[in-house]
Amino acid sequence: MARTADTTRLHTPLSPFQRWIVSGKWTKTVVFLILAFFSFAMFYPFIWLLFSSFKTGADILSLPVTLLPKRWTLDAYLMVMDPTRANLPIAYVNSIIVTSGTVISVLITASMGGFIFARLEFPGRDYLFYFVLSTTMVPFLTLLIPLYIVMRELNLLNSLWGVWVPSMFSSFGIFLCRQFVYGIPRELYDAAKIDGSGDFGIYRNIILPLTKPILSALAIFVFLGAFNAYLWPLVILNEEKKLTLPLIIARMANRFGGTDYQAVMAGSVLVSIPPLIVFLIFQKNFVRGIALTGLKG
Amino acid sequence: MTTLQDHPVSGGQSLPQLPVARRDSLWRRFRRASPFALIYSAAILVFYTIIFIIPFGTGIWLAFQNWDFITTPKFVGLRNFGRAFTDQYFWWALQKTLLFSVVEIALGLSLALLFALALSQILGKWQNIYLSLYYLPVITPLVVSLYLWRWLYRPTGGAFNTLLSSVGLPEQPFLASPQQALWAITAVIIWAHLGTGIVLFLAGINDVPESLFEAARLDGAGFWQSFFKITMPLIRPVLVYQMVVSVIGTVQMFEAFFLIPGPGFSTRTLALYTYELGFRALNLGYGAAVSLIIFVMLLGATVFQLRRWQIQWEH
Repeated sequence: MARTADTTRLHTPLSPFQRWIVSGKWTKTVVFLILAFFSFAMFYPFIWLLFSSFKTGADILSLPVTLLPKRWTLDAYLMVMDPTRANLPIAYVNSIIVTSGTVISVLITASMGGFIFARLEFPGRDYLFYFVLSTTMVPFLTLLIPLYIVMRELNLLNSLWGVWVPSMFSSFGIFLCRQFVYGIPRELYDAAKIDGSGDFGIYRNIILPLTKPILSALAIFVFLGAFNAYLWPLVILNEEKKLTLPLIIARMANRFGGTDYQAVMAGSVLVSIPPLIVFLIFQKNFVRGIALTGLKG
Repeated sequence: MTTLQDHPVSGGQSLPQLPVARRDSLWRRFRRASPFALIYSAAILVFYTIIFIIPFGTGIWLAFQNWDFITTPKFVGLRNFGRAFTDQYFWWALQKTLLFSVVEIALGLSLALLFALALSQILGKWQNIYLSLYYLPVITPLVVSLYLWRWLYRPTGGAFNTLLSSVGLPEQPFLASPQQALWAITAVIIWAHLGTGIVLFLAGINDVPESLFEAARLDGAGFWQSFFKITMPLIRPVLVYQMVVSVIGTVQMFEAFFLIPGPGFSTRTLALYTYELGFRALNLGYGAAVSLIIFVMLLGATVFQLRRWQIQWEH
């Protein structure tokens, strides 16, 4: 009888809290909470950005500083959208032109290059490829001054062409696409060849559709790089009507920074929207793209 | 007539006389190549000539000249390089660059690894949500982040100082102080780049076969033991890649030091120095020489890292 009593005591059901501790699930919860805290910390500056952009000029400078606006207003947004007071709308157009030009040209040249360097044969092919790859070893900073001189000789200063031209080809993109094309069965190419397709036809009808996953991943990287670029546009552009968005934000911060900081905040929110949209749309491709690039080893 | 026995593969005594494939002449190989490939190659060659070969050559030539955009360039031999070694500003800039790069990479990559490790313990929807939050600073234009942080760093009325004084700590000058400015900027850049490292490391960790952890657990290995013995060696390629890329990126970091500089020379790095030499002081020859020194340093650093990694990899 005593034995039964013992076992019943052993099998006394644990409270949910005890079970939680014993099962070791608490470590997961703690990790979860720590991550939640840090993601809040990471996000904290953006909360200030968003709320400050809805403040009035007097509100944003008043002490003690408060996170929430005392009076919610869209004045700052109206101010930066007004072409007579800020050149943000023009800069939007400029940025979209340069960024879409860069993305489209890189996608075309990278997918073509990937196909050509992986599958077609011509003398000097591998030398050319290794040359293209080796250009990445020279940092952009080293080319900055002489490239500016070349652009001056080509009369491309102070024009969006000058911003776009140096980024038409991407050696990284070509490398990525070449790796990807190697993964496409050679038989597909041979079969199309036997059917009498030309090489461009094969590229257009077979390779291009099949490289879509890597191209959408590449597109995000190229988009972010081109849209957020600062140094090269700074060197090339100086006329107010030609500036891209990051340059305009910097000018606004210098002009309005002392008194109308809410305008800088509103401009910043508007500038951050396009990358955010692109990221949200391509998010799935993005994570998959990292897997495809093989960067994770 | 060749019999089966004659065939080299089937163990024949003598090798048959196989016709040796004659190497085509270069001209014939060109004619056989597809026009598509040749046109593309011509285009890419023209492009890299304009964008790479000519500027790189010009840069090397310029490093031996004295030029200010207006007068005719004057050959000065190695004087520009010699000047760098005696130039106090160059050494300060080099020091700031190294301090910034080393701290940014060491702290940034360790944090990214820690976050990735923590995230790998959480599966499914929440992992993606956290990942997106951590990635947000990466996709935000750096210019926006920089001015936002300068706003938060303000000595009076800034959000950080409000936070500090509300918990009873003394207010800090941050960007206004020569001692703190470099670290204040480093913090911004770590924050802005953290997401990249987390995403890459997490992809690496998620790729480690679960069966390895299972086996380690059965053998009695703890969490940290399996981290150092299984995860770390398997994600080493990602780590090295991320390190190499980060070195190249941090040494060239420009916007941060240009847009929210600390007082005086406290945050003038080599990237900013090159820009100022070229486009402010119009000392193009010396600027080109400094930028070539940066190139050689980065090349050395990259080769060193890859070598070092290779040695450890073989063990």
